[in-house]
Amino acid sequence: MTALFKTRLQRHLREMAKYLRLVFNDFFVFALLFLLGGLGYGYSNMLKTLKSGYWWAPVVALLVLVIVAQIGRFATLIEDADRVFLLPRERAMHAYLVAARRYSQGLAQATQVIAVFLLAPFMSVTMGWTVLSLVELGLAQIILKDALLRLDLASVYQVTGQTRMNRWEFKWLLSLIILAAGLWTLPLVAVVLALILDLAVALWTAQHWQKQQIRWREQIKLEDNRMLGIYRFFNMFTEVPMLAGTIKRRRYLDWLFKTIKPQHDHLYLYLFSRGMVRGSEFSGLVVRLTVIGMLLLYFVRGEWLPVVLVALFIYLIGFQLLPFFQQYDDVVFTHVYPVLPAQRLKSFVTLITLILSVAALLLWVVVVIANPHVLTAGITLLVEVVEVWYLARIYTPQRLARSTENRG
Amino acid sequence: MALEVSHVVGGYSQIPVLKDISFDVKDGELVGLIGLNGAGKSTTINHVIGLLTPHKGTITLNGVTIQQDSQAYKQQIAYIPETPVLYQELTLREHLEVTMMAYDLDHDQAWATAHELLKTFRLDNKLDWFPANFSKGMKQKVMIVCAFLTQAKLFIIDEPFLGLDPLAVNDLLNLIEDRKQKGASILMSTHVLDTAQRYCDRFVLLHDGQVKTEGTLSELQAALPEAGESLNDIYLSMTKVDRA
Repeated sequence: MTALFKTRLQRHLREMAKYLRLVFNDFFVFALLFLLGGLGYGYSNMLKTLKSGYWWAPVVALLVLVIVAQIGRFATLIEDADRVFLLPRERAMHAYLVAARRYSQGLAQATQVIAVFLLAPFMSVTMGWTVLSLVELGLAQIILKDALLRLDLASVYQVTGQTRMNRWEFKWLLSLIILAAGLWTLPLVAVVLALILDLAVALWTAQHWQKQQIRWREQIKLEDNRMLGIYRFFNMFTEVPMLAGTIKRRRYLDWLFKTIKPQHDHLYLYLFSRGMVRGSEFSGLVVRLTVIGMLLLYFVRGEWLPVVLVALFIYLIGFQLLPFFQQYDDVVFTHVYPVLPAQRLKSFVTLITLILSVAALLLWVVVVIANPHVLTAGITLLVEVVEVWYLARIYTPQRLARSTENRG
Repeated sequence: MALEVSHVVGGYSQIPVLKDISFDVKDGELVGLIGLNGAGKSTTINHVIGLLTPHKGTITLNGVTIQQDSQAYKQQIAYIPETPVLYQELTLREHLEVTMMAYDLDHDQAWATAHELLKTFRLDNKLDWFPANFSKGMKQKVMIVCAFLTQAKLFIIDEPFLGLDPLAVNDLLNLIEDRKQKGASILMSTHVLDTAQRYCDRFVLLHDGQVKTEGTLSELQAALPEAGESLNDIYLSMTKVDRA
């Protein structure tokens, strides 16, 4: 079973490495270095202005440490098919889970150490802590994280019936108590408390796991969510095929569809509009890009820069939306319904025009607020109208016709 | 003569799965398409609904081929896939409306039919749910309701009986019978042979991409006298020829 985990881990790490290479491209590393340098410089400047004895200093330290203690989840790498194929080997899964916890320790504990390390100068300036106390606090933090991960492992089993032991309220409360004790009394107290917790959970798990069932469904769901989070992060930088997007009913947006009457030639408008609003893949993209654009434009002053930026953002949004045309290609009825392909294209163009117009309007409002010049506002509006018209009415149909041809 | 498949050679790639297939489905007739896994049933169906284009041969539906007039051809077909296919983002109500829009049905009249069908299949209280989250059998029922909402002349039903509860199977058979009376044709593929034997008017037995035999049950019995009485026996003896 440990071997199974090892093979899975290798595959997982290969996959992560693939994405990390894409994320940490030269440009991003460069930007990151600047950002870290800037933050470090800011932090050291801020430390110079601080004195000892603020009442809020331990509160800040406590908050940071409690939050950091929650970082680093239990990576089980469990897959959906496991609940069928590994069910007969449920007892042997324990070795697998122990190996998984050992692996999860790595990243989690590194985060703890770095956090305490970064917090150390702040604490020594404002609270006058010695190096020894800081090391003890770091030790407490590490043992605490170990205990929390152990709690995650124990919760794989149905030890406490329907309620899980590792609910977030519980984990936050434990971290809060132990770390507060360390910060307001002696750090050694936190070490002792964390040790007691760690040992208690370890003993309890050792006594119970052999008689308990694994919560397959929940554990698979947790792992899926964990991976989804990772993929979402990567998705900000590159395309992640595993990310299908989630679908929500969003009943409060139903009014948007009221104007689309159920007529034969509106079929795809009916379909596309609902798919866009209720799916998160493309609507999320539009919303993200529009919001980023609006934020950026709010801080940009000038005559021509806003115009260029607006044009860029509208282009980006329009371009990213093109693949949505193929969204329903794998639904057989797209091909079986007696509907001409031209109708589908026409509906798509209408949809793109609508979305781009709304985004353009929002961007324009921000430009006007940030740059109260008649000329800039006028030119931006003109550029927007021409661009939306060109992108939606000319470029989109041409481009989609070509990609359909290429598909045969 | 509603559907006429004549000398069709075809498949997913250049290697043909179907090797010169010919059969027909007449008006008001229920024809069962019978064959082992991989015999070519689904490929045949995919050709008829226009997902695949034959390498050779023609498929005519009431005198129209899909090449001549795809709209007129598709307008006559309603399809129930083997695995339910749904739009993830649409509610049940919206699925029905999309069907009405696609086939350009009269709104009020279609909804009257829809409510009746929904009641039959006990889906009438789930109109605002996402069928994508239904169980397999319920998804199947959604497919049936959508298909029988149309006034199609040819219903193509791919393995309808698996996953449906007995009540729904019975209701589906009643629906098929009702549409047959009104002159519609049905092409149905299935492995549930005793049901097929009782309800189908004629059978097309596919084997290895070819039409092995075709005809009514008595015609099949006459062609293979030593095989046995039931469709099951005939089917088994037909496949045995190949295994020996």
